[in-house]
Amino acid sequence: MPNTNTNNVTQAVLRIRIWYGLLLLVVAIFGARLFYVQVIRYDHYKTAALGGQLKQYEIPATRGTIKAYNGSEVLPVVLNQQLYTLYADPVYIKNADVVAAKIVPIVGGDAGKYAKQLKTKKTRYVVLAKKLTPEQKDKIAKLKYPGLGTQAQNYRTYPQSTLASQVLGFVNDSGTGKYGIEQALNKELTGKPGELKAITDVSGVPLAASKDNIRIAPQNGKDLILTIDLAMQQQMETILKQSVKDTKASGASALIMDPRTGAVKALANLPTYDPAKYFDVEDAKVFGNAAVAHPIEIGSIMKPLTTAAALDQGVIGPTTTYYDPASWKVDEFKITNIEEDGGSGTRSIADILNLSLNTGATWELMQMGGGEINTKARNAWYSYMADHFRFGKETGIEQGYEDPGFVPEPKDNGAGIDLTYANTTFGQAMTATPIQFAGALSAVVNGGTYYQPHLIDKTVDGNGNTTPTKPKVLKAGAVSAKTSAAMIPLMEYVVKKHNFSPAFDQNAYSVGGKTGTAQISKPGGGYYDNLFNGTYAGFVGGDQAQYVIVVFVDKPTNGGYAGTAAAQPIFGKLAHMLINDSYVTPKRQ
Amino acid sequence: MPPRRRVATRESALTLGRKHRPDYWLLILCSALLATGLILVYAISPALTTANHVKGAYYIDKQLIAIGLSIVAFLITSQVPLRWWKQAYKPLLVVAGLATLLALLLPVNPAYPAHRWVRLGSFSFQSVEIVKFAVMLWLAGFLSERIKQGLISDSKATLQPILIALGVIGVVIAGVQSDLGSTGVMVAMMATMAFVAGLPMRRILLIAAIIGIGLVLAVSATPYRRDRLQTYLNPEANCQTTGYQACQAMIAVGSGGIIGLGLGSSVQAYGYLPEAANDSIFAIYAEKFGFIGSIALVAVFVAFFARLKNIAERLPDDFSRLLVVGVLAWLSIQALINIGAMIGLLPLKGITLPFISYGGTSVVFVAAAVGLAFQASQFAGFSAPRVSSAASGGKRSFKDNTLRRTNHS
Repeated sequence: MPNTNTNNVTQAVLRIRIWYGLLLLVVAIFGARLFYVQVIRYDHYKTAALGGQLKQYEIPATRGTIKAYNGSEVLPVVLNQQLYTLYADPVYIKNADVVAAKIVPIVGGDAGKYAKQLKTKKTRYVVLAKKLTPEQKDKIAKLKYPGLGTQAQNYRTYPQSTLASQVLGFVNDSGTGKYGIEQALNKELTGKPGELKAITDVSGVPLAASKDNIRIAPQNGKDLILTIDLAMQQQMETILKQSVKDTKASGASALIMDPRTGAVKALANLPTYDPAKYFDVEDAKVFGNAAVAHPIEIGSIMKPLTTAAALDQGVIGPTTTYYDPASWKVDEFKITNIEEDGGSGTRSIADILNLSLNTGATWELMQMGGGEINTKARNAWYSYMADHFRFGKETGIEQGYEDPGFVPEPKDNGAGIDLTYANTTFGQAMTATPIQFAGALSAVVNGGTYYQPHLIDKTVDGNGNTTPTKPKVLKAGAVSAKTSAAMIPLMEYVVKKHNFSPAFDQNAYSVGGKTGTAQISKPGGGYYDNLFNGTYAGFVGGDQAQYVIVVFVDKPTNGGYAGTAAAQPIFGKLAHMLINDSYVTPKRQ
Repeated sequence: MPPRRRVATRESALTLGRKHRPDYWLLILCSALLATGLILVYAISPALTTANHVKGAYYIDKQLIAIGLSIVAFLITSQVPLRWWKQAYKPLLVVAGLATLLALLLPVNPAYPAHRWVRLGSFSFQSVEIVKFAVMLWLAGFLSERIKQGLISDSKATLQPILIALGVIGVVIAGVQSDLGSTGVMVAMMATMAFVAGLPMRRILLIAAIIGIGLVLAVSATPYRRDRLQTYLNPEANCQTTGYQACQAMIAVGSGGIIGLGLGSSVQAYGYLPEAANDSIFAIYAEKFGFIGSIALVAVFVAFFARLKNIAERLPDDFSRLLVVGVLAWLSIQALINIGAMIGLLPLKGITLPFISYGGTSVVFVAAAVGLAFQASQFAGFSAPRVSSAASGGKRSFKDNTLRRTNHS
């Protein structure tokens, strides 16, 4: 068979060509498929690709810082610190026990707990630890465990520790300001987050520039400079703490305001909390700034305002005298004097304040009605309370949860409105906060202008432009300049006649004030027999009033009248502090 | 006795004729493919090193070492004479068997639980690549012997050993090693070689039927293969689970569009597409270079296969012809199975794209196979025999046997 080999070869070549033809056919099908996938269906796959690859991020704006004065120097009160959250994707953790054991020396904690978290199959994101320092973060990164990651998070830090904590408020885990300035000016502090749309790797890390990437820069939050004087604040907090302890009170609020601008120079409440550990607080009540958020019946500190209103209407004069019967019958109820000596006799306006005569304040209201409590009297007094002194209205101070308090309407409701109004003349049957009272008293002692109470002295935007807060007049002519001038000596008289230790040098300084011992209404109606709030409102200055001080002491239990025994000493200490530390410019002699 | 023994063993002398210039196009084309693979691995190296926590040059260094080794392998297979290789199947089969045994016995990397790798210190390789190489050499020699003996159509002498070999491969590689991809490549390679050797069509169809039944059994017996089949039939419905790799591969290919994203701009390599440097590298290539680039790459492959086909056609000797057919079938089928999976035409198989994929074992043995074909090309005739007359079983005509140098320029 000589041809066998040749036949074999030609058959082999034929079969190679058949086979190769099949191969080329498959290749042609592949080519057509590539055309279909890459050209015809391009949009479909491009969309699918971007759906997985293009991720949208918020570029967080840096939250504004908060600073305050220490004399003329500006010191930080709230700063930002970048810390890291340690998380894991359990899917990528091969040996949970080994990983857990490596984490412990770096961040502390319990290896068993970490191992348990790392073994979970329920979620692909477990938070192992929070608030890692950059050094700890770097050490974790050096472990190079796939599935272990850190994420930056901004936290607030408080260089001044707990100072003015309730004024500041805090920032919660989701970055929102809560309470205080953080809440009230959350928008300004937060700024506007930027936006980043970027092609990322599978774990979400943006890759290099792509035409699909979009970046909008964030606008950082504004920095705030407070009107607070830190040294003054510090001393106030110390004084308040000691006094609450001495008077066995359940709490207290105090504030110092510049009556010429409405700027709050110091403001503190007790009990308080540490904003760096806000999450440890058990009773959320302590977050609130009581001086702004907790109105009470203010008691006899109202009498200077009643007097100022009567003077301003011209129905009494500063030296007017009248016969005080020691009790008035109003709506079948008796108005008597509960505080100092209050027998019947001829009394002056100064006596009304000094002796804290409820009957005297009621008499002043009667004068507004031409000798009796009537619609005219009620309307006139309501106008002063609500419009001139702005009770029942929010002051608009930069604080969260401000409470406007309550002022009764003057119209006859058939339920003893005259008695109610008689009570308001000495600070019962109405409520107000210390900040409202400070605003009103400031207007009485500064010549008659109600300035909006405020805490922000300057705002600094991201470009470094500083905007000072201009004092805002909420009510011009709250009282006349004449009335204001008359009220100063009347209130100085009260201080002169009361026992301060040490006494004030009234030749060099002008110090005036008024106590209040406020009954506390029971939830079901009526008042407690033996529980009172002590209040005090006054001013310190030289040729003019330079500081208004308002003190509320919550249910002191050290005996005596709460206003005199508990609140007055705090006012005394604060006023002496202001004088001793040269915050007050003395009279030109 | 000694001369008798020699007769019993294979004829070592080959009727190859005069040696001439080898086909340098083979070298040029496979160098181009290797370079393409190296550039791709380099381009996605940042993504790979970040994901696997290794230093920047890790992948490039390893691939360069693999290419160095493959040059050595190429030099050996292209220089050691073919008649020696015809005898070498025995020791090679022993080595392949031992390597497979080692792979089965040695502890596995938990990330890749199949017993496919032989790890000796820092050196590791996939045993199946030696098996492919050894089986190809054995079958080329075996079939050429049977042709010479006129026993190519004999069931007992020819078909039975092939069926036994298929059975062993099916049990060990498809069964124990779970490597259906490599099994497929090997079975297709063997079938091609048997077909070209002149095994009767009825036999080949019989083998195909047996393999088909085996495949159905293999798929239905293992849940993960059932999943893969399910995924293959409906990849987009299973994108988040079993179809993840298939979907991401299609996204990579499709989002490349006509011109591609550019060499440095692959996104899918950054953790989206698993095995981006190995099994999935064609998808990354298609994403970077688009339809035009993909067609160009396929064209280079086809040009390379065409050279192999032309060499096979012109070889005067059965052994060397079948050997080159084996090389062609191995590389082309492996490339098509790999690319087919990336474009959603075939199920994922977990095999590499020859020359392009990162991975030392694949590159070294592919280079060794090319070396054999390169050596054989020196003996290829100037033109192939006319087929038309051969097809009808007629006499060979020498009329058109003119000198053509187009393929050996």
